[in-house]
Amino acid sequence: MNRATPRLRALAALPFVLALAVHLLLFARWRDELPAELATHFSARGEGDGWTGPTAYVLVSTALLLGLAAGWTALVRRRYLWAAWATAGFAGGLLVQLLRANRVDDTFGPVVFSPGMDLGIALVVAVVAGAAGWALGSLVPAEAEPSAPGEADPSVLPLAAGEAARWSKDTGSRALTVLSVLALAAAPVTLLVATWPGALLGLLGLVVGVPGLALARVRVTVDRHGLTVRSALVPRPRVRVPLDGVEGAGVREIDAMTDFGGWGYRVRAHRTGVVLRSGEALVVRRGSGREFAVTVPDARTAAALLNALVERHGKV
Amino acid sequence: MLFRVDPASSVPLGDQIAACVRGALADGSAEPGERLPAARELADSLGVNVHTVLRGYQRLREEGLIELRRGRGAVIVPGVAAPDRARLVSRLREAAAEARELGLTEAEFLELARTSLG
Repeated sequence: MNRATPRLRALAALPFVLALAVHLLLFARWRDELPAELATHFSARGEGDGWTGPTAYVLVSTALLLGLAAGWTALVRRRYLWAAWATAGFAGGLLVQLLRANRVDDTFGPVVFSPGMDLGIALVVAVVAGAAGWALGSLVPAEAEPSAPGEADPSVLPLAAGEAARWSKDTGSRALTVLSVLALAAAPVTLLVATWPGALLGLLGLVVGVPGLALARVRVTVDRHGLTVRSALVPRPRVRVPLDGVEGAGVREIDAMTDFGGWGYRVRAHRTGVVLRSGEALVVRRGSGREFAVTVPDARTAAALLNALVERHGKV
Repeated sequence: MLFRVDPASSVPLGDQIAACVRGALADGSAEPGERLPAARELADSLGVNVHTVLRGYQRLREEGLIELRRGRGAVIVPGVAAPDRARLVSRLREAAAEARELGLTEAEFLELARTSLG
């Protein structure tokens, strides 16, 4: 459910290609004037204190730009195109300043990279590139706006007077499962391989992996208690919207990036969501115009049942 | 999967729960290999006794539609044949109910079923 057009993606990749080309051209041009080891890390005073060979430098810097390009091309949205250009401008500007610092000062002693001056120049490049990207954004047709909130309260499931009903569905994110399992696996490996206290970093794997795995698969339930979203593995943590708090339920197509700015438990100004993928979502309107959304298949049945339960709850 | 039970109906609650699973399996809203809700959880949602839910699950197990495993709970049998089997069981139950309405005895119904097998 990705709304970026091929043209938008090309425009997002373009600044990184330009930065890469300029950087490699300058590297080739200044090749003879560069030292055998390039200063790539600097102390607070701007003196080089970390060094990299030229081949490694070219490989790492190219990988950096390509990585950023891939990320932005995959996730770009029209109104964030300027940020892709600004990122490329900043990264490209910084790399070029790095080359320049190595080239000029090699003969005079320690390589100096002035944080104020060189970072400032990179920032200026970023701003100029960002402005260019913003202007280019107008070349791309506007994306379709997400459909109006709760446009269709699809239906009300017919329930007999004393009839009890419950709907539930497990839904998950395979990517999140894989990442969490990897993070968990990293913990014991780090503890075995690394020396103390560096191995403490391995505990990060647990910190990331455990909640990750708990959220990777959730169970969405609609019953007489209302709407409940909880981990499919453990009963807590859970999010519950009681029947009292529900004004109506509907179904909507949700784009994780556009509508919620990412995946997971998302909190926005007027809406909260458990977003594990883009696509069909159960959207609940609560009092005071707030919304709660959860991406889940067969949301239509869930919404219809929730509407029926709320209607009956109101009558009692 | 949607569960619904109506205490006003003449059909026992456990059978109603079993019918929900059969229906969901037949219409594709439940898949082979899918885990059914824990009995306690479902009982709480529907406001019925845990034993009522377990009676429904037991029936489904006798019909070969679910497996009850210690620690894993109730799981719909895996395999592509499960939805068809669910439909067959539903039709058989309908036929049995009809026979009862017509006043057939159990022996007469079984005899009829044996004859249909050819």
